[in-house]
Amino acid sequence: MKDKKKQYWIGTDELNNVPEFIEEASYEYHDEPLLNIAEDEKTLGVKTNRRDFLKFLGFGLGAATVAAGCDIPVKKAIPYVVKPETIVPGIATYYASSFVHGGDYCPILVKTREGRPIKIEGNSLSPIIKGGTSARAQAYVLDLYDVNRLQFPGKVGDGKPAKTDWAEIDRAAKSAFAKGNVRILTNTIMSPMTQAAIAEFVAKYPDTQVVTIDPVSSSALLQANEATFGSRFVPGYRFDKADVIVSFGADFLGTWISPTEFAAQYVKNRKASAKNKHMSWHVQVESRMSLTGSNADNRIMVKPSEQGAAIATLYNLLAGKAGGAKIAAPHPNEKAASALAKVANKLWANRGKSLIVSDSNNKAEQILVNAMNNMLGNYGSTIDLTATSNQRQGNDTDFKQLVADMNAGRVGSLIVMDANPAFTRPNAAKFLAGMKKVKFKVALGTHYNETAAACDYVAPNHHGLESWGDVEAKRGQYSFIQPTIAPLFDTRQKEASLLIWAESPNYQASAEQPMYEYLKAQWNGRLNANGSFQKQFDKLLHDGVYTVIYETKDDVNFNFDPSMVSGITKPGSGMEISFFEDFRVGAGEYANNPWLIELPDAVSRTSWGNYLALPIEWDGGNEFTTLHGLNPEEFKGWADKVKLTVGGSDKEVAVIRQFGQMKDTVSLSLGYGRTVVGDAGKDVGIDVNPWLSMDKDGNVQYFASAVEVSPKVGKDKHFSCVQYHHSLGVTGTDKSGEKINVDEKTLMTLGEGMQGGLVDRSVMYQTNVREMDEFLEHLKEKRAEAQELNSKSLYPVEKYQRERYGEGHHWGMHIDMNACIGCGACAVACMAENNVPVVGKEEVSRHHEMTWLRIDRYFYGDYENPNAVYQPMMCQHCDNAPCENVCPVNATNHSSEGLNQMAYNRCVGTRYCANNCPYKVRRFNWLDYSTADLFEDNPTYVNKESLPYGSDNLTRMVLNPDVTVRVRGVIEKCSFCVQRLQEGKLVAKKEGRRLRDSDVKSACQTACPTEAIVMGDLNNKDGELNKRRQNSLNYIALEEVDVASSVMYQTKVNNRDESLDA
Amino acid sequence: MSSHVSSIREPLVFGNKTYHNITEDLVAPTEKTPGKLWIAMFILAVGVLAMGVYAVTYTIYYGIGAWNLNRTIGWGWDITNFVWWIGIGHAGTLISAILLLFRQRWRTGVNRAAEAMTIFAVICAAMFPLIHVGRAWDVFFFFPYPNTRGPLWPNFVSPLLWDVFAISTYFTISVLFWYTGLVPDFATIRDRAKGFRKKLYSALSFGWKGSAKNWQRFESVSLVLAGLATPLVLSVHTIVSFDFATSVIPGWHTTIFPPYFVAGAVFSGFAMVLTLMLITRKILHLEEYITVNHIESMNKVILVTGSIVGVAYITELAIAWYSGYVYEQFAFLNRAKGIYWWSYFGMMFNNVVIPQLFWSKKIRTSVAWTFFLSILINVGMWFERFVIISTSIARDYLPSAWSYYIPTGIEIMIYLGTFGLFFTLFLGFTRVAPVVAIAEVKSILKDYGDQYLDKTQENI
Repeated sequence: MKDKKKQYWIGTDELNNVPEFIEEASYEYHDEPLLNIAEDEKTLGVKTNRRDFLKFLGFGLGAATVAAGCDIPVKKAIPYVVKPETIVPGIATYYASSFVHGGDYCPILVKTREGRPIKIEGNSLSPIIKGGTSARAQAYVLDLYDVNRLQFPGKVGDGKPAKTDWAEIDRAAKSAFAKGNVRILTNTIMSPMTQAAIAEFVAKYPDTQVVTIDPVSSSALLQANEATFGSRFVPGYRFDKADVIVSFGADFLGTWISPTEFAAQYVKNRKASAKNKHMSWHVQVESRMSLTGSNADNRIMVKPSEQGAAIATLYNLLAGKAGGAKIAAPHPNEKAASALAKVANKLWANRGKSLIVSDSNNKAEQILVNAMNNMLGNYGSTIDLTATSNQRQGNDTDFKQLVADMNAGRVGSLIVMDANPAFTRPNAAKFLAGMKKVKFKVALGTHYNETAAACDYVAPNHHGLESWGDVEAKRGQYSFIQPTIAPLFDTRQKEASLLIWAESPNYQASAEQPMYEYLKAQWNGRLNANGSFQKQFDKLLHDGVYTVIYETKDDVNFNFDPSMVSGITKPGSGMEISFFEDFRVGAGEYANNPWLIELPDAVSRTSWGNYLALPIEWDGGNEFTTLHGLNPEEFKGWADKVKLTVGGSDKEVAVIRQFGQMKDTVSLSLGYGRTVVGDAGKDVGIDVNPWLSMDKDGNVQYFASAVEVSPKVGKDKHFSCVQYHHSLGVTGTDKSGEKINVDEKTLMTLGEGMQGGLVDRSVMYQTNVREMDEFLEHLKEKRAEAQELNSKSLYPVEKYQRERYGEGHHWGMHIDMNACIGCGACAVACMAENNVPVVGKEEVSRHHEMTWLRIDRYFYGDYENPNAVYQPMMCQHCDNAPCENVCPVNATNHSSEGLNQMAYNRCVGTRYCANNCPYKVRRFNWLDYSTADLFEDNPTYVNKESLPYGSDNLTRMVLNPDVTVRVRGVIEKCSFCVQRLQEGKLVAKKEGRRLRDSDVKSACQTACPTEAIVMGDLNNKDGELNKRRQNSLNYIALEEVDVASSVMYQTKVNNRDESLDA
Repeated sequence: MSSHVSSIREPLVFGNKTYHNITEDLVAPTEKTPGKLWIAMFILAVGVLAMGVYAVTYTIYYGIGAWNLNRTIGWGWDITNFVWWIGIGHAGTLISAILLLFRQRWRTGVNRAAEAMTIFAVICAAMFPLIHVGRAWDVFFFFPYPNTRGPLWPNFVSPLLWDVFAISTYFTISVLFWYTGLVPDFATIRDRAKGFRKKLYSALSFGWKGSAKNWQRFESVSLVLAGLATPLVLSVHTIVSFDFATSVIPGWHTTIFPPYFVAGAVFSGFAMVLTLMLITRKILHLEEYITVNHIESMNKVILVTGSIVGVAYITELAIAWYSGYVYEQFAFLNRAKGIYWWSYFGMMFNNVVIPQLFWSKKIRTSVAWTFFLSILINVGMWFERFVIISTSIARDYLPSAWSYYIPTGIEIMIYLGTFGLFFTLFLGFTRVAPVVAIAEVKSILKDYGDQYLDKTQENI
């Protein structure tokens, strides 16, 4: 039937309104991967015998020979025949979505180019995390293109799943579920839509129970709140409102509950300046140097087993002041006890403006923490009971019960959603034994892991960037998940699986996007009644966030009496170990993401595995020592391996000497040593989970006593540590008891590898807030001296700067080291934005890492209990750049906008520029890291994979098309995200206006959760950059070298109370 | 011959030689079948060269990642070897040019071999800048050739580019000088040769007739080339030192470098000449032409330049202290005390202490001692370059970037391979051309022959 009214049509099919065409054209996405569509009967029915094969081969060879000649094959980009409306080649499109992995959460914008998601940005509309991101959120996009993802529904056979089809799984699942006793084992679920799907499933199979666990348990926190408030929840913490923060082991800037949110809050109260000297006082009570501890003002050292005693001691001190009931409690070490007394005074003085948190997984201890917060009147001020968090819901007691039920044969079927208890739990062996007694087990996840390997079927889930969904990370604060690419593989969203198994009428299998319809149906009626629902819903998806304001609960119904407190951990003796989650691979759930594996830990600066942190001692003379004298030559790129014995079982592990690690304790991170994992995560580090234990509530305890560390038993030849150097002026007492600079003293030891160097380097400045005035004088003098020296130069740098860059743009940067907490989001964002290759453990150990942006960490202060400062270091875009004049071929030069730029094609690779860079930020492509080399046989295998890393077309989809992939043999470095500058300039030009500061932001800047980095135009006098550069705490690193750096740093200010250490 | 002869003049030719004896003795190696020792050494040299070729090929194919250099230490054994070989290549031109101008007659016994050594050392050295780059197939970018890219020229401000010009000029002049000296000697061989060798040496000797005009022009050219080469002796290592002196890295950025490098180069060059001459004189039985007097003279030069180098080392330390500049102070403290203390020790001991032994006449005139100490000095000078290049960048401004470096097997193989190249060329040279300049020795026979001075080998 011809439609005469049509003015424009695409082909005759449209003109004739052929029904098949109309249907086809209405799809935005195909249900199935294109491969499946191609695999129709016609194609599959073709029979090719051996003779035909040979004929084809002969013809093919002949044809190829004739056709090819000697030319290099030209790879053609095929243009769209029908261009989708939303895609303009070369222009990025952003979609609001959310990064969710168990309880890890970040509202994001997904940057897509030509239909491919390539980069994650923060969603600045979110009230929870205002535009910041975390390293994990940044690395999320790489997971999408992981070659080790589950690519099809499978029946688990020997070692790997064999391909099967959805119908078979569905059949088997439904018949198994019908027999009853179904258990759903899941990570924390923050999605109302998922909850609804589970509710439908439970309605269909009524004897279903849901068991929730977290990869790293916070079970006791929830139990304590249940005991004191009557309901299981995690409150909303407000670190920005707290003037005194006491954390018992909680790494709230790194991993605890909602670190990205907390980091943004935390730094708000840390920005002291000459005019405003107010800042919070943060005490960290811990045995190891955590990311949070390294940012703290004071640290109180307690052994892992003493943490409960420390909490109880502080409770008793506060109870004494408040007139509350004291409890009988064990005592921590004397030094800690006396420090806690001073902490109690400060807390008491700051009632209502203080905050106590703890990562303890002991119910009694968490109850005491609640009681203390209550005595201090923190509920309602620094702890929000209205906007509670859903980010931790795991219940260890339930899990313990589940394992018992499974072993007793009381479980008929088990659905595992994302969780991986076969790896993360101390009772994994018992869990796996129980699995054998469960008739039907199916895993709904994106990856094949230890738990999936013990299941019967894997029903692969979409990656989050292929899914629909919603998230309620905090009560009333919603964000949405929308797909940014059609499913790459034959996967099915996990909620869809549940709904199909529940035979839900709400799941419209025939719809183009069944989960979209389902999500929409969930929200229908929950939005404003006025106006069109579709319009409102579209806006929700567009914005990505939605907030429902709940009324604040004024009357806090707090219920506590000392009899609730029983079972506080008793302090042990001897050496102890703490196991901790690091901010990269979590408890193993990110262990196959090369960006995260290669990201160095902020504190230890190691990557590719976990290293046993040993305390450092100083002999009072010339040398630093460690237990058994281990790792004396770590600077040579190898670490000693020791036999670590915990609770009777031992493993070999490589060690690192760590400032801030308490004497008689060691620490080792979780999440490594995965056995059923993809190529990247294989054989990286060691598994510590068997060493974890459970208390009487089933809560996992992340420490162990009676630990033995043997003397050296071997060597880790590939010690992947990017910063051997540990300190910049740590102090200690010499043999006469006088306080001296240990770094300078140890410098006099022959061949000492741990030299701090002479300390008076203008690299890093720090001051105590109480000494700020003197410090500012000092800084002023230092800078004046440097400028005076620089003015003697025959080469009038400043004049040239004025003449050359005074007009137009002159790009510069400001980095606030008070805001930088070392979380690594910027470093991963930089890798994603700029196609920085991953190089692998061996190459990192040879200091061949390619990171354009690194976060230097320096310790200062008392060597036993130092403070740390993080300094993001990237190309400083010097206007008098020493790298530029030494290049013999002009491959690196200065742009008219003050950028130091690289011409990769011109670079021959003499590395002279890298040698002459005072900041050592230039990176050389030592090997064929990008698999783009002239010679095809010399690429690098990042972790001994079967294919060189990044050589597959799947992983390459993550590459940013705006940034050249560098070839082996050339130098590269930070470009100030020149592609973003160009884009911003073009946008401004098209709109016929001057470029605004907000038009251009570097990748590191947008990734930062604490707004530590600001890039902008130095010639824009009213811009944010110039505002920040007015601060009197600012300095230029290595100013006296007179390279005219464009990056300015702001001095780190701490609020350390020295009296606490006395 | 003058009627009066100074009593302190020592003979430079022994064995009561006549002109004919000289011709016979010195041409012999090019005419006879080589001895077993020569054959064994040649096979060894070619073998080591083959290993070097393998290592270089591997590096270019696989990438500079075949070496252990890293983000902090961009230059290690590669540039150390480069500067070391360039330094060694200094003695030849110094002997032929500067000593010619100073009329040092003892140069005649050693200049030919020293010049050959210079050329071969420069070849070995020049290899490193070419292979140390990430993309060896693009090294032509270094040269200012006309092109359609703009045209795009190299960066004339870069000391690395100055190196290209300095070394190529030096190499050209050295080859010219060496070849000019060879022309009369080739003619001597030609006159004695038959068949193919006659044709070959006829071509090589450019029709030399030995006429007075020939000799007059020969002398003029030699003098002109000496005049041209003399500043080059000073300039090459000065410019090589600019690679470091013009940088901003503490330990590199030093104004003392040009004279210090030149003195060091002459120092190491003479040490290498001695090592080589002592071997050659033994293998080719040239004890009567390369005498203890020659050795002693060269040892004196070593003593002087070694002392200059020693003073330079101490001056550096003093300046670091005096500068009040923390980075500079640390750089030098770190050299002596840091992780590379052993290389600093190797440099100080071999370059400052060892040459002082030459104050003793007994040691200075002992062949065995000289041979042993000359090798130590070569080792010490290698350490000096390593200390300057690698230890400075291993511990520079930002402590966060500090690193450590030890070479891979490939890097060691490349270094050894340059010895293979050097000795293959040198051993080949001993079969093709007279190792001692025949014409020049003849020119001093009547002044310095033992029979004319009435001093035989026994009474010295």
